[in-house]
Formats: sequence, C-alpha cells, structure tokens
Amino acid sequence: MRVRVSGGRVFDPASGLVDVVRDVVIEDGRVVADDPTLPSHQVHDARGCVVMAGGIDLHSHIAGGKVNLARLLMTNDRAAFPEPFGDFCGCGGGQAAPTTHLTGCRYSQMGYTAVFEPAVVGANARHAHLEMADIPNIDTGGFLVLGNDDALLRLIAQGEGQGAVNDYVAWMLRATQCCAIKIVNPGGISAFKFNGRSLDLDEQGPFYGLTPRRILTTLQRAVTELGVPHPIHLHGCNLGIPGNIATTLATIGATDGFPLHLTHVQFHSYGTAGDRKFSSGAAELAAAVNANPHISVDVGQVVFGQTVTASADLMAQYRNHGIADPKKWIGMDIECDAACGVVPFAYRDKSFVNALQWAIGLELFLLIEDPWRVFLTTDHPNGAPFTSYPHLIRLLMDRDFRNAQLARLHKAARAHTNLESLTREYTLEEIAIVTRAAPARTLGLKDRGHLAPGAVGDVVLYEDGADREAMFSAPRLVLKDGREIVRNGEVVALVEGRTFAVKPDYDPLMDKRMDRWFDEAIGLKAKHFRIAEGEIRNGHGPSCVECAP
Amino acid sequence: MSTQAPRIVSDLACGFCGLGCDDLEVAVMFREVRPRRACPEAARLLRRGPGQPAAPRVGGREVPLVEAASAAAAHLKASRAAAFSGLGADVAGLRGLADLAVSFGASLDHAASEGLFRNLDTLQRVGWVACTLAELRNRCDVLVVVGADPTGLYSRFFERAVPAPRTDGTGPLFLPQGRTIVFLGHGPEAATRNLLAGQDVREVPVPDGLLAEALAALGAFVAGRSLADLGGAFAGALGEALQEVAGLLKAARYGVLTWNAATLQSGEAGLVVGRAADIVATLNATTRAAVFPLGGRDNGLGAHQVMLWRFGYPLRTLVGGGEARHAPGLYATAAALKDADLLLHTSAFRPDPPPAFDRGPVIALAHPETEFAREPEVFIPVGTPGVDHGGQVFRMDGVVCLPLEGLRDAGLASVAQAAAAILQAGRAA
Ligand code: SF4
Repeated sequence: MRVRVSGGRVFDPASGLVDVVRDVVIEDGRVVADDPTLPSHQVHDARGCVVMAGGIDLHSHIAGGKVNLARLLMTNDRAAFPEPFGDFCGCGGGQAAPTTHLTGCRYSQMGYTAVFEPAVVGANARHAHLEMADIPNIDTGGFLVLGNDDALLRLIAQGEGQGAVNDYVAWMLRATQCCAIKIVNPGGISAFKFNGRSLDLDEQGPFYGLTPRRILTTLQRAVTELGVPHPIHLHGCNLGIPGNIATTLATIGATDGFPLHLTHVQFHSYGTAGDRKFSSGAAELAAAVNANPHISVDVGQVVFGQTVTASADLMAQYRNHGIADPKKWIGMDIECDAACGVVPFAYRDKSFVNALQWAIGLELFLLIEDPWRVFLTTDHPNGAPFTSYPHLIRLLMDRDFRNAQLARLHKAARAHTNLESLTREYTLEEIAIVTRAAPARTLGLKDRGHLAPGAVGDVVLYEDGADREAMFSAPRLVLKDGREIVRNGEVVALVEGRTFAVKPDYDPLMDKRMDRWFDEAIGLKAKHFRIAEGEIRNGHGPSCVECAP
Repeated sequence: MSTQAPRIVSDLACGFCGLGCDDLEVAVMFREVRPRRACPEAARLLRRGPGQPAAPRVGGREVPLVEAASAAAAHLKASRAAAFSGLGADVAGLRGLADLAVSFGASLDHAASEGLFRNLDTLQRVGWVACTLAELRNRCDVLVVVGADPTGLYSRFFERAVPAPRTDGTGPLFLPQGRTIVFLGHGPEAATRNLLAGQDVREVPVPDGLLAEALAALGAFVAGRSLADLGGAFAGALGEALQEVAGLLKAARYGVLTWNAATLQSGEAGLVVGRAADIVATLNATTRAAVFPLGGRDNGLGAHQVMLWRFGYPLRTLVGGGEARHAPGLYATAAALKDADLLLHTSAFRPDPPPAFDRGPVIALAHPETEFAREPEVFIPVGTPGVDHGGQVFRMDGVVCLPLEGLRDAGLASVAQAAAAILQAGRAA
C-alpha cells in the first residue's frame, strides 16, 4: 500500500529540509523515496499545509499508579470534561488526569504520535505498562525511576564499584521494560523516608551517607557506559524552592562532561531577589545551558487553570501539600523503590508566584538558543494538562499574543520579568525541532522525528494559519504508520501503539544477586518483579531501542 | 493408569486474598492440582480434582461456549439496566468486562468493594499518606493494628509484613532495634501471638462500638493534648493505654496504622478510617508515618485501577450510551440490583454464587464448582487465574501487580475469553 502526501510544505529539520514543497510517500507504514513512476493507492492533498513528522512528547505523566491516584482525586474535573466521542469510543474523559483512551485520542488529535511516561517506579512498572497498552493512537515508553532505590543506594554505599551499578541498572531496565533512566530528587525521596525534609546537592543523605551528586554522577556514568541513548533524565534537588537556581547551576557543574537532561527546569529556576524573595533565574539557567552543549532541558511550562501535580518526589509534594487546591492530597512511600505525591493545584494569573512561574518558563524557551536542546513540555499534568500545547506554541510563535497575555498578569510579577523585551518568535522549523526532531534524537528513536526514507509513516498535516493555536489544535490529517487516524482535528480511527524499551547487557551474576535481594529485603520474587515481553502491548512485545555502549 | 510423576511448580504468585504471596508450591498431574505450600485459604482455592469441569449451560442445558456467548449477548442486548457484579477476574478479564459494559451498558461493582469504599470516603475527600508492603516490612518500627486481628482473612499478613529482625543481616533493612506491634481493638488470636513471639506485642482492648472514640482520643494525644484536656472521657486504663500508644507513635521513626475497613462495624467504619488517616497526617509533621489499609480480595484493587484508567471513576459507575456516571449510592451492587433487569456476575477466583436476583436474567461467568440457588439463564464456567491460565492481579497496596501462572488446561475459558466471545456474538447479531 503506497500513500502519497502531496504538495505540502515539508518541515523536516532532521533531514535538512525546511519549508520545501515535496511529496512524502509511505509504503507499508514507512516513508520511502519518492518514485513517481509507481502508482499511489491513496493520495492526500497537502497543498496549503505544513507537513511534519508525528509529534513526540518526552515528558508527560500519562500512565501508572500516580496518574490513577490523580484520577481518583480529580473526579470533579473528570465530570467537567465528559466523553467527547459518543458512540465512537465512549470511555474517556477528564482533562487534568484524562483516561487512557482520551489520552491517546487527545494527543493524536494534536498531531502527536509518541509520548513518554517519565516516572515509572519499578514496583509499579507492570501497572504502568498495562495502562500504556490501553492507550490508543500513540506509541509510548517509560523512564525508570532510580536514585532512591535501596538496592542501588546500598550498592553505592558499600563501594561495590561502577561495574556492579551498571549491571544493576541494566537488570532493572530489562526487568521493567523501560527505555531510559529518570532520577527524581536523587537521594531525597529516600531521605524523606528517614524524615529528612530537604537534601541539597552536596549534603549527605541519612543512613547511606550518600550525596545527591554522588548518586547522579554514578548513574550518569552507568547509562553512558551501557549506551542507553537518552542521558539521565533528572528531576533535580530542591524542586519549587526559591533560590534553587543555585542548586540547578551546581548540578550542571557536577556533570563532569557527561550528558544530562534536566527536566521541567521551570520549577528549578527560581531566585530569591526582590521584596517577595521569589524571582526568575531563567537568564542564569539559559546562559549555563547555552554554554554547556552536553546539557538538554525540557521546560515544564505553567499554563493557568486547574490541574493536579503528580510526582515521585514525595519530599517536595509533602512541602507543597498545604497549598493543595482543592484541599486534599495523597502521598505514598513505595516498596524500597521510590514514592509518590499527588496534589491538586490551580495556577492563577493573579497570583504573583504563579504568574512569575509562567513567565520564567517562557523566558527559558526564548533565552535558550539551541532548539535541539530544549523540548516543549508542561510536565503534564504538573504545569498544565498537555492539551494546552497549541496555546503554548502560539505563545512562543506570536510575540503580540504573548505580550497581550502578559499584560493580564499579576502586576508585581510583570515587574519581575523581562519577558516583554524578548523579541524572539519561534519559527515553524523551531517548533518542528522542539516537538519532534530533538526529542527523537535524544531518545535514540532513529526512525522517528523525521520524514526521510526509513522513517515510520507518522505524518501530520497542519493547515497553515496565522492563529498558531488553532493551527496546532486541529491538524487536517494525522497518519500513524501511514494510516489515517485524525481528520480535521477529529479522531477517525483507533490503532494500537507500540512501547519502546532498551535491552542493555549485564553480567548474569546480577540475576542471582537480585534474586537474593528480592527474597530477603522486598519479600517478593525477582522473577515476579520482572515483566515478560508478552506482557507489553497486549502480547505484541516491546519495540527495542538500540543501545550503543 | 499413568505412572507419570506429578509436576512440581514452585514460586507461584497468589491472587486470592490480596496479600500477594508469591512463594506457593503445587503438584500438578493432568487436571489435578494439589497444593504443597500455601495458606489454608489458598490451598482450598487452588485444589482441583482430576475430573472434567462443568460445561457452559443455557437454561440448564449444556451448550458449546459460542452458543452460551450468543445467549448472553442476546440477553444483554435486550436489557436496559444491566448490573455487573462480582468482578472477580484478572486484569485482562476486567478489561473484557469493561468492554462489555461500554458496548451494552451496565453498572459495575466488585464483590469486595464495601471496605474499599469505606476507605475511599477518606482517600477521595482528604487523602492520606500510605505505604506498600516492603516499606512496612523494612521500615515500620511501630505498627498499630486497628480493629480485629487480620489473620483470619489474610493468614500470612504478619509473617510477610512484620518479620522479626534477624542477626544474620537478612532481616528487615532498617530495624536494628526491632519493632512494636500494638493491637488496638481485639487482641491477637493465638496463632498470631505465637508468630509474633519474641517481638514487642502490646494489646489495647477496645470494646466494639468504641473504636472510633478510641481513635479520636489517640488522635488528640498524638496532637499533644493530655488526659486532663479530654475532660475525663478517657480517664482510666483505656485512656492511659491510648496515651502510651500515642507516645510510641510520636517516638517512632516510621509508624504505620493498619485496618481492614470491611470488618469494622458499619456505623463507625468511616470515622475510624478518617481518624487513622488524621493521626498519620499529624505524625508526619514531625516524624514519619503511613497507613496500610487491608483489602483487595479477588483482585479488587485491580478492578479499582482498571475502572480509574478506563473510565476515570472508581467502581460503582454506570457505563453506556457513550458516557460514564459515578454514583456509589446508586451503583453499589445491592442498590443497583433493585433497579436492574439483568445481572452479569463474575467470580473466577472462588465458587461464590451470584447475589439473589429475580428481576431478570442472570449471566454467570463463574467458577465451575459454583452452586447456584437458581440455575442462571446463562452459565459460562471460567478458569481461575493462577490455576487455569496466566494473568495479572494487583496486591492490596494497589502498587504491585503480580503475574499469575497457568497450571493446567481443563478447557475452561478465561473471563477475558468469555467476555470477548460475548462481545463478538453481540456484534455479529
Ligand atoms: S495469605 Fe493470601 S496471598 Fe498469601 S497464600 Fe494465602 S490467600 Fe494467597
């Protein structure tokens, strides 16, 4: 089956093609070189459209225990956003914590075809995969949370050496069918279990006596030596605390040249200047990112409105639970592995802090120069639901719109940001980079994020229009593996996605060690912790992302 | 007569009570399953004879599965108010039942959800801080068991949750000083007392009906009030004992309160749960503490989770006509059956018959040994996850999901297969 997408303006920065009118041809689900002599079985007229590869979100909490806890707390939000699909689907709703079906439908409606759950806790990995298997129309993958797991902290504290850590990390990645390593508040979640209330980069944590720096650099070395494509995906120390910009800068300094991805940096870029002791550290962070080519970030933009925050960082969520809105929250210490905290929250444009958070996110987007190292996220649902992406894209592309929004903000907050003076407007090319090409590259997804021959047939047609929010809300057409799933912003078909995993090698001795660890400490068999390939995506198994040690 | 030796299968995970033991062992010979290592409840529910299990029936007449499935689909199609009860199934089975509900319209509730909803009343309204089994096992230095000794329903709870510290370094990770276990309510049963011998076990007997009061007092003491502040209501031995427990919890590094909401007296259950969560919230301001609610028989937590991710609501939700409506008062099985015109009951883990129902047809996706008070219109005997087929079930903490292994092939459909057959029959008709 040959499908031709004809006459569109192609934005494929990974292939060096920017705003070039050409056809994209898909054969049996993959992009192929155009051969005009061969007949096409289906032709999609793309004249007047911008053509891009499917969108990729590398940080969005879409599946697993904490998302379900969020759903449990957000049933009012669920009722306020009832099923949009009627007979067609009939089992989805919610905005801050949408159901699995709605998650897949809403993402594909915006032209996204792959989304990554960035906080899979090992003990809850089977649950996360079961949910992912139930999400239609998008491919998924999970980042395994390490860095507070007692097995690892013990290995490091006992001085077992990098080799043992590497074997452990590889064992865990395989066991949980994940595709990258996430660290959430290195050592901090563990510290909170021992009643530690904060832990800075060079502070020794309780019991193990390890600093976050040591945990971070050990795991950075592990993923580098194992050849896991995505570098450590770090939710750093001191999330949300005024003055944490110093910690974030020190963290960049701690990386020793190893690549590092700093996630939702908006929440980690706060100064203490001004009479309210809360200020933007965006300029400093952007300068550091600009100067350090081994650092990438995603922003975690705040957009005003009701949402729910869900994080493995129980230390931070405990600190924040007093400002829950509505007033309820759930915390959980999880299985010598990690934790979670779920706190509903409403960001208000009339709040000084929230307004400044909004501005800080945008400052970061505009001040970080290399679009290949900054990814578009709201840390769904923590900064805002992912459905606000088209709005965010307009904020980035349209300075007048941005400044009009800025004018509505809390007055004192406006005085604390130089956003108004930032003239940069994202181009379509840059949008294609931050929403597709760059995330594919950092995740090691060689056949995604571009439209060169060999790429997967995930292609999106956006009707060009001055209102970028409208344009990116409702693509004219979305093809998944060459198959039409969205037309004029409406879902027209449900297809099954894939789940990505990495399979790094390890010394088989680690099997024995892990058997013993699970028997003695956890009270569960390692073999039951381990997830079989057949458990992924209804028996289809994972799609393997290659490691390059 | 075969002389073949039975196949020994070990390290099996168990899906029955929700505690998720995974070191069970059985001997399997053709269709026969004999438990070798299992608690009494699991042994009873794992055991299978060599015989051929029951076949599907329509109106009492044995039929092939497809025929039973089309009969079920026809009933579902004709129904205007179907209630799905039981929901005793693995995750795949639950997903299948959810598909049926979307397709035909039905309310859904699990047989063991009463305790869950008593907990949700607090969890959804204000929330709490909880922990999982391995945290309890390795970290908890003061455990308060509220209400009855859980051993009757969760026979290996203490063995798994609070093993004694060991000198060889293979015991709990963070408990060099050992731990204290307080029974607040009914004291431990004899077997529990034996099991916990050597650990610091305290008993604070509280008469039935006074448990919520006792927790209010405990909460007050934890919050720093004194016996005198309480105006004498708790003067005497109980007050003093509660004050002592409060002291233990405040001095603990990681205190845990556990209860089984299903066995609390209905009049005070909600208050007990709310106050226990409250006490933990107060403790967390200065030290660490968590709740560990017991429950989750027959993958009840799995049903809770699947409902949330599929529909965005907990159990006791009506699905159909392109929308879902959550109303626990209306869609709890007992209430739903008052208005229902069809009952679809699922019980794959144990031969529990459907609830009494005479307002319309009954479809039973049930354990082959189920004894029915009246013959259901459609009976599809289903396999047990962990005996007849593999599957996945959630443990009571709702975090760990365990893989179950199939042990034999007795020709029984899984709930997922039965649901898929009904769905297909419904589409074909
Ligand atoms: S205690 Fe529960 S989980 Fe453990 S073997 Fe018995 S029934 Fe199974």
